[in-house]
Amino acid sequence: MTAILSNAQLRNVGSASRKLTAGLPPATVILSFAVILVVILWSLVPGLFTSLSPVTGDTASKLAAPSAAHWFGTDYLGRDQYARVVHGTASSVTSALVAVLIGLVVGSIIGLASGFRGGWVDAVLGRFVDVLLAIPGFLLAVVIVSSLGFQTINAAIATGVSAVAVFARLMRAEVMRVRSASYVEASYLEGGNRLHALLGHVLPNAYRSVLVLAVLQFGTSILIIASLAFLGYGDPPPASDWGLLVASGKTYVTAPWLVYAPALVIVVTVLSVNRISRWLRNAK
Amino acid sequence: MSADLLTVEGLSIAYGPTGVVHDVSFSVAKGESLALIGESGSGKSTIAKAVLRLLPHGEATAAGRVALNGRDILALPEKQFRPLRGRQLGFIPQDPASALNPVRTIGAQAQEAAALLGETDPSVRRGRILDVLEQVGLPDPVRVYDSYPHQLSGGMLQRVLIALTVLPRPSLIVADEPTSALDVTVQKLILDMLTELRRDLDISLLLITHDLAIAAERADSLVVLKDGAVQESGPSRDVFAAPRTDYARSLQADVPALHPDRYRDQRTAFQPARDGDYRTGHVSSPSARLQIDVRDVTKRFSAGGMDVLACDGVSFSVERGRTHALVGESGSGKTTAVRLLLGLEQPDGGQIAVAGQSTSGRSRAEVRDIRRHLQLVYQNPFTSLDPTWRVSRIIREPLDQFGVGTKPERAQRVREALEAVGLPSDVASRRPAHLSGGQRQRVAIARALVVRPDVVVLDEPTSALDVSVQAGILELLSKLQRELDLTYLFVSHDLALVRQVADTVSVLRKGQVVEDGAVEDIFSRPQHPYTRALLDSIPLATPAAALGEVATEAKQLAKATA
Amino acid sequence: MTGDYRRFALTRAAQAIVVVLLAYVFTFLIISVLPGDAITNTLRDPQHGLSEEDIQRIVAFYGLDQPVVIQLLLSLGRFLTGELGFSLQSNLPVSQLVGDALPSTLTLATTALVIAIVFAGAIAYGAQYLPGKWAAIVRSIPSFFLSVPNFVIGLVLIEFFAFRLHSFTTTDPNSPVATLFAAITLAIPVSAPLAEVLIASLDHESRQEYAVVARSRGLTEARLFAKHLVKPAALPSVAMVALIVGELLGGSVITETIFGRDGIGTVVQKAVTGEDQPVLQAVVSLSAVVFVAVNLVADLASPLLDPRVKIRETKLKEKVGA
Repeated sequence: MTAILSNAQLRNVGSASRKLTAGLPPATVILSFAVILVVILWSLVPGLFTSLSPVTGDTASKLAAPSAAHWFGTDYLGRDQYARVVHGTASSVTSALVAVLIGLVVGSIIGLASGFRGGWVDAVLGRFVDVLLAIPGFLLAVVIVSSLGFQTINAAIATGVSAVAVFARLMRAEVMRVRSASYVEASYLEGGNRLHALLGHVLPNAYRSVLVLAVLQFGTSILIIASLAFLGYGDPPPASDWGLLVASGKTYVTAPWLVYAPALVIVVTVLSVNRISRWLRNAK
Repeated sequence: MSADLLTVEGLSIAYGPTGVVHDVSFSVAKGESLALIGESGSGKSTIAKAVLRLLPHGEATAAGRVALNGRDILALPEKQFRPLRGRQLGFIPQDPASALNPVRTIGAQAQEAAALLGETDPSVRRGRILDVLEQVGLPDPVRVYDSYPHQLSGGMLQRVLIALTVLPRPSLIVADEPTSALDVTVQKLILDMLTELRRDLDISLLLITHDLAIAAERADSLVVLKDGAVQESGPSRDVFAAPRTDYARSLQADVPALHPDRYRDQRTAFQPARDGDYRTGHVSSPSARLQIDVRDVTKRFSAGGMDVLACDGVSFSVERGRTHALVGESGSGKTTAVRLLLGLEQPDGGQIAVAGQSTSGRSRAEVRDIRRHLQLVYQNPFTSLDPTWRVSRIIREPLDQFGVGTKPERAQRVREALEAVGLPSDVASRRPAHLSGGQRQRVAIARALVVRPDVVVLDEPTSALDVSVQAGILELLSKLQRELDLTYLFVSHDLALVRQVADTVSVLRKGQVVEDGAVEDIFSRPQHPYTRALLDSIPLATPAAALGEVATEAKQLAKATA
Repeated sequence: MTGDYRRFALTRAAQAIVVVLLAYVFTFLIISVLPGDAITNTLRDPQHGLSEEDIQRIVAFYGLDQPVVIQLLLSLGRFLTGELGFSLQSNLPVSQLVGDALPSTLTLATTALVIAIVFAGAIAYGAQYLPGKWAAIVRSIPSFFLSVPNFVIGLVLIEFFAFRLHSFTTTDPNSPVATLFAAITLAIPVSAPLAEVLIASLDHESRQEYAVVARSRGLTEARLFAKHLVKPAALPSVAMVALIVGELLGGSVITETIFGRDGIGTVVQKAVTGEDQPVLQAVVSLSAVVFVAVNLVADLASPLLDPRVKIRETKLKEKVGA
């Protein structure tokens, strides 16, 4: 019998070590992490990346094409577009983070209560989530931001509220899945109470996919907040949120880099976030 | 012997760099049957897929020769191979529930099989389909024809699949564990039907199975596989009666049906009870010795407007240190009975007593205390352990929850429990994903034992495991019972297994106990027809040749009387 | 069975109505209760040139001098009878504003939906049946589509097709070609989740045992796809298509701005900048009605299309009964 057991063991160790030696994530994922690192540094220490000011420019060199001096060219006031993008990062990224946190925390609590408690709690919260889902997300964000006032932080709150439903649904589904697992039932048999089951078993098993969603939603939030800024619902100029840069650049047809540079930064950032999210989902 | 229909020579298959099948050779003669036997990971299903050319594109590479009627089918271009599919090579899959398209009717899918006959008129095809559905013993072919798969039972679906496979009269059928997803009594009927059809239509069979007893009963010759390589092969009766390799020998020794008394001599000095009075036959005050006493318990569920009586006056009792088995097929109520006993469901009526204490009308705290003496080992160790926890914490969970001992004492008891179930101590720091199925089940047993319960409920504790692993677990359980004077309630659908491990047994059917008593009595003198049907479904483990003779005799007899 | 279905349909319809009403209340609360006394600011704005009587009439109509609860009941009562009120900016009936803008948005959204379905179908088919390397590239398209903001797509399309290739002019945004490009702009981000669902369910279905069994009967891949895989793989996408309708309504705000189209999106924009609450309230609630109605249809259709769903239907009934 021992011989058979050790054989089974060997087989298993083999497959486990294969997983471990799979080692480094794919090149695209490493690249994505590098992009995100740069974006984080841009938002934390923009001064390290550019010595030029994002608010004052040299009108003599206005609407200049990209060059060694001005990587992304200059705008109608001669301001360096690269400096504006770098200095606009903090606001664009932090607001997306705020939005995700609102969605994640509120949505998770709703989903957790709904899925774990069941019954009338589930019915009431379920209708509330239905309502949030029924109003098209972007419209909901627009209405909220128009009520709160045109500021980037309000755009972030609006985006966060419109994401609550997605988090709540996923959390509820995950909790329901884990709740019926036999190891949760086993914990009741071993004298555990509901709180123990919730904190010890349900949450640790349910939160992973919710976190993956949070990463994905971070990318989506960058897009939505950029869209709100594009429509002029964020901080007004001279702020340089990415979406706002694209909006103010689009009037200068002769200087397309004013649109494409910030647009490219948005696309590359969101693409990287999405790639990381997909990698996390598959690695799970 | 006629020419070989299927010849496999030096077949090796790899998924990427990982080889799963190594240099396998065997052959099947026309009209013959051959069984590939092995446990999970032996490569038996991969070989079947290679013979059918159904290995996933680009992921698997096969080397060697697979010849059907002398043509190497691995070398054929797909265009030339396609006409052989279905017409020459039929396939019966493992799980009938997923083998038919859920959104199309049986008839629509049967038409595809019937098209292989070369018949162009759909109504003629329909006639042929209805004929063959009747031939496989489906009572109402027209209704089956118009049904969707989810409207039929597993047994009926497998009949449908067999019907569709034999319809184009292939020369070889590859059957991949054709009955392992079905209830035992249905298994036997399906295998009987397949054997008969095969003989009538002169179809060869390549049977893939993990069950040595079924293989020996149904196949002319056997190939024993382990880790993708052939261990032993030859005529069934030879391999079976005198296995030459250690592996085949241990495999043979681990099959419950072949060794009814394997654990019997190891158990406590149990005196067979006198006929009919096993419950009260002991002199020493019987009620004190009853660890579990379930009296007349009923439980009703309503689902979809229908009331289902899951337990209908179920009674059984278990004495200290004994093993009682609840036997039944799916829907028999055995799982409900266990859940009622464990307090996971509340009974509608009846009495449940554990160690002489009744569980009804007690406070939560008291019931919780009773539970401590009553632990459960789940059927599937892949879902009963929290994947995010380490083994040491999993085993410690009941101690933490019941507040037993100090921290170092708990750690000590976890170490003891691991040792008791025969796991090395370094397992403690691993997560379940890094353990094999057998190891996981040992962890589950350790978790159940760590609070030193009196009664352990074993809910099909080995049905998710390979036979050799199963044997190890059963040995462990019987050792622990002896050492700790445990009382077991063993839930199973497998009568052969029950005969090995249990002292007394209750046979359940549709929520009722149809028969109960000492295992010896039930097995030697079954009273109820359902018990007899269950017993009949245990493979006889007589080599197929003998069975064939009986069958031909019967057929001749039938002809003579006709 | 039909009795079961009728009960299921009625329950779902009742739930849908409740959700629409709650959505109305929720929107009302956001607009009226959140900080900012917008409505009187707007009214007093001399630009609107409203006379004192006009203002009094409007204040009385919306019950602005009364508690919020009364305002809500007044407003909800009118909504139930189909009365949407008046715009604070133009003094026109909201129903007229919406009615004028609706055809343009409807054309845009339906065209975009068709394009999104075509895109998603093509991506999913390519991901399944193109040779290895190409399939991998096609598989990454949805992720790329999800990373590009709507407005960037629009600006790029205009830059290339209007300014360089002169396929259309931005001065005539309602021409068929301009509409097509606007619809493509709207469709691209929306097609991504649909494509992902299709890819996932095609992957799932083609790995199912029944697909293997069908192959063992000599079906070609093309026949297998057409006869076996399309239907079960497409059924989950029906729900996704219904969900997408919401995205289309939201996305049209941006798309219409970029292409200079006059539609619901423009109405929303004007209402937001002009703090025109009755218009916002009406547009958002009507969007919710459309979204809920489409999803109700998808829900009610699925048991009819998918024989598997009938099992779930009984489960649902239990849940409702409990």
